[in-house]
Amino acid sequence: MVFNSFIFLFFFVVVFFFYYFPLKGKTKAQNWLLLLSSYFFYGFADWKMIPLLLVVTIITFFLGTAIHKTTNPRKSSFLTILGVLLGIGLLVYFKYFNFFIDSFSTVLNSIGLKTNPQTFNIIMPLGISFFTFKFISYVIEIHREKIEPSRDFVAFSTYIAFFPTILSGPIDRPNNFIPQLQKKRSFNYDKVVDGCKLVLWGMFQKIVIADNLAGVIDKVWDDIPDQSASVLFVTAILYSIQIYTDFSGYSNMAIGIGKILGFDIAKNFNYPFFARNISEFWRKWHMSLTSWLTDYVFMPLNIKFRNLGPLGMILAIIINMVVVGMWHGASWTFVVFGLYHGLLFIPLILSGAFLKNRKLKPNKYGLPIFKDFSKMTGTFLLVTIGFVIFRADSIGQTWEYFSGIFNLSRGFLNYKGSEIGSAVIPLIFSVIMFILEWYYREIHYPLANLGINWYRPLRYAMYYAIIIAVFWYGGKEQQFIYFQF
Amino acid sequence: MTKDELLKQINTIFINTLDNEDVIVNETTTANDVEEWDSLTHIQLVVAIEKHFKIRFTSKEIQSWDNVGVMLECIQKKGI
Repeated sequence: MVFNSFIFLFFFVVVFFFYYFPLKGKTKAQNWLLLLSSYFFYGFADWKMIPLLLVVTIITFFLGTAIHKTTNPRKSSFLTILGVLLGIGLLVYFKYFNFFIDSFSTVLNSIGLKTNPQTFNIIMPLGISFFTFKFISYVIEIHREKIEPSRDFVAFSTYIAFFPTILSGPIDRPNNFIPQLQKKRSFNYDKVVDGCKLVLWGMFQKIVIADNLAGVIDKVWDDIPDQSASVLFVTAILYSIQIYTDFSGYSNMAIGIGKILGFDIAKNFNYPFFARNISEFWRKWHMSLTSWLTDYVFMPLNIKFRNLGPLGMILAIIINMVVVGMWHGASWTFVVFGLYHGLLFIPLILSGAFLKNRKLKPNKYGLPIFKDFSKMTGTFLLVTIGFVIFRADSIGQTWEYFSGIFNLSRGFLNYKGSEIGSAVIPLIFSVIMFILEWYYREIHYPLANLGINWYRPLRYAMYYAIIIAVFWYGGKEQQFIYFQF
Repeated sequence: MTKDELLKQINTIFINTLDNEDVIVNETTTANDVEEWDSLTHIQLVVAIEKHFKIRFTSKEIQSWDNVGVMLECIQKKGI
């Protein structure tokens, strides 16, 4: 049940009605409703995995209480490690088991040992990479004494299974989300309108831009050897735009739906294509994942290696980025994607730019100064190279793609037989989106303020135009790219 | 060492590490009050303090500092 479907709309209207009307002011009953509807939502996608989700939720809930209760620091560490291993164990079993068996047997075969590997038909539960990270941060935060364990099992389970975010994030932290479940939530017109606008903006990104680009890009990737250099180059750039609008569109819809229900969910994107270097990019891209990994992987490693100087920081960031890559799935392309980004940090660490967080200062016309603009373009191209590795099915295909870009034998500007022309309309919409993003870069999303001072009918005409565009291009119900992770 | 004296030395370390002459810290100063003080420069401050006082902190201590006051207590606990 994707957000941009009529079945979800029906489901949500029912939840919304009961949530704000019969259950108005009854926080506990509202949480029960959220929990049951979240399990229904999750079960609708994958009912066989409900027992797993429930059992791990129960175990983590009791582990949290036990970690808090014990006065013995060793026992506290032991229980925390148990909780972390439970999360990692789930991920390893469901996501990486076959990958390890495969890679291991390849290594053995390469040194002449014959193996007959048996891979298993393991079905990965949807959203596992997202909800296991919630479990892990819950036990660590209790161990670090940053939060107290939740005493309310319904609230805790709702935090884990909250339907707007369970399938694809943002990965909300317990200290941000659980307290909100304890607060009174009554219908707040402004917040609901804000949420609706955010959902609409997300739909614009996903349906009007990402889904319209998907077909063109998939066709090129299905037939790389027949594409000319320029088609491959343009498609790589289009894919960067597609993955951004797909995932940030999804995130905006999730955050918007949360807002309509009275919640403030963690932000996931902060206009990443305006980043002037890779470090800035990762502070703006999939922020709920990167901040999670910064807290639990990069910082502990950075502290451990602190006496090694810049080398320690380089090691910490490379390990961290490989974990970022592997989090996406069991494939060598993701490992290389992470490693590639890790290596891009090295010049920043050595030059000291990694430690600086310089604010953007536009020129008198409100545009980026030339130096910033060229850095943004350079960063975008570096990121685009990374996304080619990310999109490829194998390292071989990545190689095939890059060599195609530099192979001029099929003509550089040969667009014959290519459908790249159909990307023009979504591309025009992307340009409009980027201009609005630049203009409204200080706020969460452009539509929040776009047109607020306009003549009312004009503003409504703009909202309806976006809605019509969404319906015009809708109906395909393309899966979200990040659902597979 | 008295708290005031310790604070003075810490202030010098902050100025040198964060490369900002205008930094003035007191016991209630947090990372939010000093622009250059973030999670990354925090580790550099730790290294500089450890070198200066010839002490060693645990990971848990480093991650538990909410303000300069807690940092000072931690240093004093090491016998400085």
